[in-house]
Amino acid sequence: MNEQQQRKVYHYLKNKKIENFVGVPDSTLKYFIDECLKNDNILITTREEEAIGIAAGMSLSKSNSLVFMQNAGFANSISTITSLIQLYEIPLIFLIGWRGYLSDDAPEHLKIGKIQPELLKIIGLKSQILTEKNWKVKCDWALNQLKEKKPCALVIRRMFHD
Amino acid sequence: MIRKEAVTIIGKSVGKNPIVSANGFMSRDLFETNDKESNFYMIGSMGLASSIGLGIALKNPKKQVFVFDGDGNILMNLGSLVTIGSLKPKNLVHIVFDNNSHESTGGQPTNSSQINLAKIAKTANYKIFVIQTKTKLISILKDIKKSQGPIFLLIKISTSKERSKRVSWNPKTIRDRVMKSL
Repeated sequence: MNEQQQRKVYHYLKNKKIENFVGVPDSTLKYFIDECLKNDNILITTREEEAIGIAAGMSLSKSNSLVFMQNAGFANSISTITSLIQLYEIPLIFLIGWRGYLSDDAPEHLKIGKIQPELLKIIGLKSQILTEKNWKVKCDWALNQLKEKKPCALVIRRMFHD
Repeated sequence: MIRKEAVTIIGKSVGKNPIVSANGFMSRDLFETNDKESNFYMIGSMGLASSIGLGIALKNPKKQVFVFDGDGNILMNLGSLVTIGSLKPKNLVHIVFDNNSHESTGGQPTNSSQINLAKIAKTANYKIFVIQTKTKLISILKDIKKSQGPIFLLIKISTSKERSKRVSWNPKTIRDRVMKSL
């Protein structure tokens, strides 16, 4: 997803009452994260699970939150997602950068990257892939999930090498 | 002092303010001694009580928010001290009940006695208090009502055979009660 569209995603969600952007940086999401930084509306944590805990506390306070992370961090967080977010049905949007989407991505990403869609499916966390064409529709989908007090995930694929 | 005694004393002093309690016997003690709407009983996600408490504290600046943590729990999420220490929420009171053990899983040791948790918290910008006795606990609880946080209470407790009942609220009810109270 290109720079301009990633920056737009931040403002779109912000205007739709997502108030908190909490997470661990990821290069696939760097323009989105940069936009959070520019607007001084970001909380960077030490680990993804910590970010999920903080965002859960904010959502319990009726302040909507998004948690951003790389899919490596998502894999770290599975138990937290199942035993906190899904167990209590705490409404949260996860924004996940998908490393290992390309089969020639860096080697450390290949194993988890290959099973990323299955991981989401197997824990029953509903997800959609954001692209330059569909992002508004998919953001609206996520916002509707929140209204129904359902956590969900938006995924951005890593389509380039650096 | 055992955990349940300390939890009872603090629960009374906290009044209606929110408490996030760690998983295992911690939440069970709080549930049995002082159940109320604004208690978030964390039954899974070990390590994250202080993070959930931080999220609540940041969004409810007029309320003093309490975290009931264990030594095993905080050792799993020491990064939380860094995040809390960098944000310095004035209304957060982070209490660690330290029995040097994973009591909920059978009393296996933690390494909390090998290091100085209070010093770590102090370095992370907390105001710290180390407590060994009930008398000191009661007097510090009075003091912190007027103090600015983040505050860290390290309460040394002994292990015990005393067992509180399980939290009987289902997780969604816990969520709804807390959301209503905030």
